Amino acid sequence: MRILYIDTSSSYLYTSIVENDKLISEIKEEFGQSLSEVALPRIASMFDKNNLSPKDIDKIIVVNGPGSFTGIRIGITIAKIYAWSLNIPITTIYSLEAMAISSKNNTYHVPILNARRGYVYTAIYDEDYKEVLKPCHILLTDLQEKLKDIKEYEYISNDEFDDLDVNSYSPDMVKVVNYFKDKENINPHAVNPEYLKLTEAEESKL
Amino acid sequence: MKDVYILGIESSCDETSASIVKNGVEEIATVISSQIDVHKNYGGVVPEIASRHHVKNITMVLEECLEKANMTMDDIDAIAITYGPGLIGSLLIGLEAAKTLSFVYNKPLVPVHHIAGHIYANSLVKPLEFPLLAVVVSGGHTELIEMKKHYDFQKLGGTLDDAIGECYDKVARVIDLEYPGGPKLDKLASIGKDTYSLPVPLKDDSYNFSFSGLKSAVINLAHNEEQRGNPLRKEDLACSFQRVAVESIINKVKKAITEKNIKHVIVAGGVAANNGLRNAMTELCNELGVDLSIPPMKYCTDNGTMIAAAGYFAYLEGRRADLNLNSKSQDTLK
Repeated sequence: MRILYIDTSSSYLYTSIVENDKLISEIKEEFGQSLSEVALPRIASMFDKNNLSPKDIDKIIVVNGPGSFTGIRIGITIAKIYAWSLNIPITTIYSLEAMAISSKNNTYHVPILNARRGYVYTAIYDEDYKEVLKPCHILLTDLQEKLKDIKEYEYISNDEFDDLDVNSYSPDMVKVVNYFKDKENINPHAVNPEYLKLTEAEESKL
Repeated sequence: MKDVYILGIESSCDETSASIVKNGVEEIATVISSQIDVHKNYGGVVPEIASRHHVKNITMVLEECLEKANMTMDDIDAIAITYGPGLIGSLLIGLEAAKTLSFVYNKPLVPVHHIAGHIYANSLVKPLEFPLLAVVVSGGHTELIEMKKHYDFQKLGGTLDDAIGECYDKVARVIDLEYPGGPKLDKLASIGKDTYSLPVPLKDDSYNFSFSGLKSAVINLAHNEEQRGNPLRKEDLACSFQRVAVESIINKVKKAITEKNIKHVIVAGGVAANNGLRNAMTELCNELGVDLSIPPMKYCTDNGTMIAAAGYFAYLEGRRADLNLNSKSQDTLK
């Protein structure tokens, strides 16, 4: 089974082709604002390098958020169009799950993304990657309150936080893909971003 | 010559649309998913909400379009995509979709400027004749463009501040018309009398326009009437505003037709649906003896049909983009 993995939820492009637990090709590169321009050509270059055609993929795993709103939409649009047009099975995972599962530490895992104004996107997973707190958008201080009774945990992030000891994140895409390779497939039309936050316009109407 | 089928994708503002057009002139199938009801609640298009709807709708719009046409992607010769100008987050959804389809099916990708689309909406009605003058009037544009041949654009002039459609919507708000107020204002103007005095903007020798002064004049007039305790005759104000706005367009169009020996005038963009402008353009072109094309209402708003039509002529000119194509919120038509 050959799986295409796509994560454009941050300023990095994380993408890979994994075949039966083996890495065929991967890209981990920071692009920032130019992600919309380069994401697809880079993905295409992985296919070219390995003499693969788009039809040679058996499943797509795409990160649906949380993270950069525009970034998430780029990866989701590529993945859902790809899956829909060639009728390829597709499933989605959270960026936070990929961050936790890439960690080798035997502690609780707390991936966090800076959502500004004191807020974070976060979740808590135990040593076996079981979800303890589901992905959410909360105040950092509220997260810290929830972590009070947990003995050993690590923060995982590529964002900067004052006064927090944070382990940096570099995805182990083979591990992530293997973890989710049997996850239930979704109809491509229903593959959508999980922003975990309303737009400011919607919030001001509440 | 073999028939050419172009798939056009448009997502530059609040409409997600896909369409298949044959040989640049025959509409095979079109699907438009409009978000107008969503944005109405906010008094205008909210970019982040628009982007969220585009990504949600994009595959369904494409699927419905292919089903309607009874075609598959294999029947398509090239994919035409609006790369700009427009809302960047909205544009990106159509762009990534088009790029992905181009990659997956190894089909040529044809970049289309949104305004070229509005211009070529007219070729679905009647072949373009050159030299041609395109009067582009919408919520984001007010431009005069001269074309000496297919897919050759020379901008003669444009607005120095607000676009005409933007000005219509803002004036509509002054007289309490719900967003989008432009079309409602047009309707109201038809039952009013031209009784208020407003200045015709930028009566100069250029091909440029200016609408912010006119907008301010309307706001001031409404404010002064209120101060004096005079009830505002909304339909009369709509009528006076419309006469001045249309006159400022007509003056410059007349100048362009005469100086550039124009044979064919086309009106393009959302404000092409405006009756005041349609009537005045018809009268002017009759008087000067030039052909006039105004697209039917369904082609005046944003749609994939016009992008596919323009895409055909761009395709014939050999215009192509690779997978590095990016969206541009602003870009000159060339």
